Amino acid sequence: MGGFDPGRVADGNSPAAPPRRRWRTGPYWLALQLVLSASLLLLFLLPIIALFTYAPVSRIFSELSNAQVREALWFTFYASGIAVLGAVLFAIPLGYVLARRRFIGRSVVESLVALPVVVPHLLVGLGLFFLVIPGTPLYHLTQALGIPILNSIGGVVLVMVFVSAPYTVLASELSFRAVDGRVIEASRSLGAGAATAFLTVTFPLALRGIVAGLLLTWARAVSEIGGLLIIASFVYPGGLYSGPVTTTVSIFVYNLFGQGDLQDAAAVSSLFLIFAFAIFLLVRLGERSGWLPWHRGELSP
Amino acid sequence: MTHWVVDELETDLDHFHLGPVDLDLAPRRALAVLGPSGAGKTTLLRTLAGFLPVRQGRILRDGVEISDWLPEERGLGYVPQGLGLFPHRTAEGNIRYPLELRDSPGADGRVRELLERFHLTALARRYPARLSGGEQQRVAIARAIAASPELIVWDEPWQALDVQARYELGLVFHELRESERVPVIVVTHDPTLAFSIADAFVVLGNGRVRGHYDATSLLRAPPDAFGARFVGFENVYDRAALEATPRSPLRAWLLERAGPDGVALTAPTHPAPSGTDPLWEGTVRSARPGPFGLTVEVLADDLLVTLRVPPPWSPPLPFLGERLRFRVDSASLHPLGTPP
Repeated sequence: MGGFDPGRVADGNSPAAPPRRRWRTGPYWLALQLVLSASLLLLFLLPIIALFTYAPVSRIFSELSNAQVREALWFTFYASGIAVLGAVLFAIPLGYVLARRRFIGRSVVESLVALPVVVPHLLVGLGLFFLVIPGTPLYHLTQALGIPILNSIGGVVLVMVFVSAPYTVLASELSFRAVDGRVIEASRSLGAGAATAFLTVTFPLALRGIVAGLLLTWARAVSEIGGLLIIASFVYPGGLYSGPVTTTVSIFVYNLFGQGDLQDAAAVSSLFLIFAFAIFLLVRLGERSGWLPWHRGELSP
Repeated sequence: MTHWVVDELETDLDHFHLGPVDLDLAPRRALAVLGPSGAGKTTLLRTLAGFLPVRQGRILRDGVEISDWLPEERGLGYVPQGLGLFPHRTAEGNIRYPLELRDSPGADGRVRELLERFHLTALARRYPARLSGGEQQRVAIARAIAASPELIVWDEPWQALDVQARYELGLVFHELRESERVPVIVVTHDPTLAFSIADAFVVLGNGRVRGHYDATSLLRAPPDAFGARFVGFENVYDRAALEATPRSPLRAWLLERAGPDGVALTAPTHPAPSGTDPLWEGTVRSARPGPFGLTVEVLADDLLVTLRVPPPWSPPLPFLGERLRFRVDSASLHPLGTPP
């Protein structure tokens, strides 16, 4: 008859346990990871380097004195800016509805949102073209409203919104869904009406993800070419644009390439990339600096 | 000083039906809503707060029916599970929020007073992510009070708190009832909290009210197996467990004395005191010392029975597999499922 021996039951600290082996990464495994990752990064980087080095640096900046180049640059950022506003106006509400409401046909709507990402952009342009060519109801409507579509900024913005808005819809849907419903309920109980709760709680908490989506939308819009080749390969003044006849940078470069003017094609491309990177970087820096509202309250890593 | 009455309330959430529920909450009363997971506790609170529609019945505030009022009109300090703090606002910003909504004059003074009262002044500029669990709880309750609610409704206040924070929160609750003079409803899984702050209890099970109690009646006649375990009965057997075949003498003996839902008994002591009830024998499965003596689990006739060896017990401890004798005092049995 022995006593009740706790040591026999709980042997977590048994001295006889073998020492733990230190886990080590095999050198081949590590090398494989490095090689594969580096290959992809090189693929990203090398074409850009080739673009910047093809024409002399002086040529890149001398393009700025070319009025046509300046107009194309300005127009591209201007039109893509309007496309982003369109996404703010229409894509964020759709994302909210998808995140918060249950309705019949939800999955149909969700696949519809994904459609523009899947369809080749040239076909998008073709479809829009058939929709707005003279004789169609939409043609008469847009004419009556004074918003020309073909070969004008209206068409450019339509194509850009079509191909780029899904990124904002998806990002805002995910961001709205990620906001804890109980936090919203707490604000309602504290006296906030539905609209106030949205403005003071739901939207600020979702803002960071929404801005990430808008950035993608902008990037997609600014680099569009496929749909534009059909709808608006040249842009005449009218609607929201009153400058001289111009085009987007993508088509401008495409035309230069078609004419065999490789030096100018490379130089204008580089110039465009510099501006685009600058804008991208500014938003990122704003995000980092903490002066934009969405960083508040987060634990820094 | 608001009087709340819930009258035959019923609601549905997906396929879950809650009700009918009756409650009567006079000012300064504290009600604990008890029940296992999925009993409908949170559903009840969310219906009271206005986030789920009332299907049947009424919610009355001082005699005025508010069943179809919007959440923001009900004057109800609802603290959801997980507290619902605003992660993008500081502790101070959280507490200021209801005052901002009301544009109330003297908001600065009120915020300062609340920060001080809940010992948050030094933490005022921190965001919730940088506060401890106990500090977050204090921010949540201070924020709820800043809205001057007519009823405080708190879902699982003790969740994920350490022992010390729980003790402090208990003190906060007591102070709250004195200072705010509003009724309080808490949902909790914790008997210590429930018994220390509540003067009335309602037990929910499967969407239905199993009974209304005060502390004494809940201890004396718990409604069901959940209630019996909640108040601290060590041995709770539902009817199905007792009726299982093959019959054994102990199970048959307990079954004779069980209510419709089973039977609960406090831990019999070892060594068995003298008495007229039969002696049973069980095999030791585990033994664990504590401030109230030694808790020993024995297997007797396929039933696990928890026994208590009051201090000071004399070593050696019972060993695994040892046979122990115990006596179940038939006067200490609580049949379950009979109305209180």
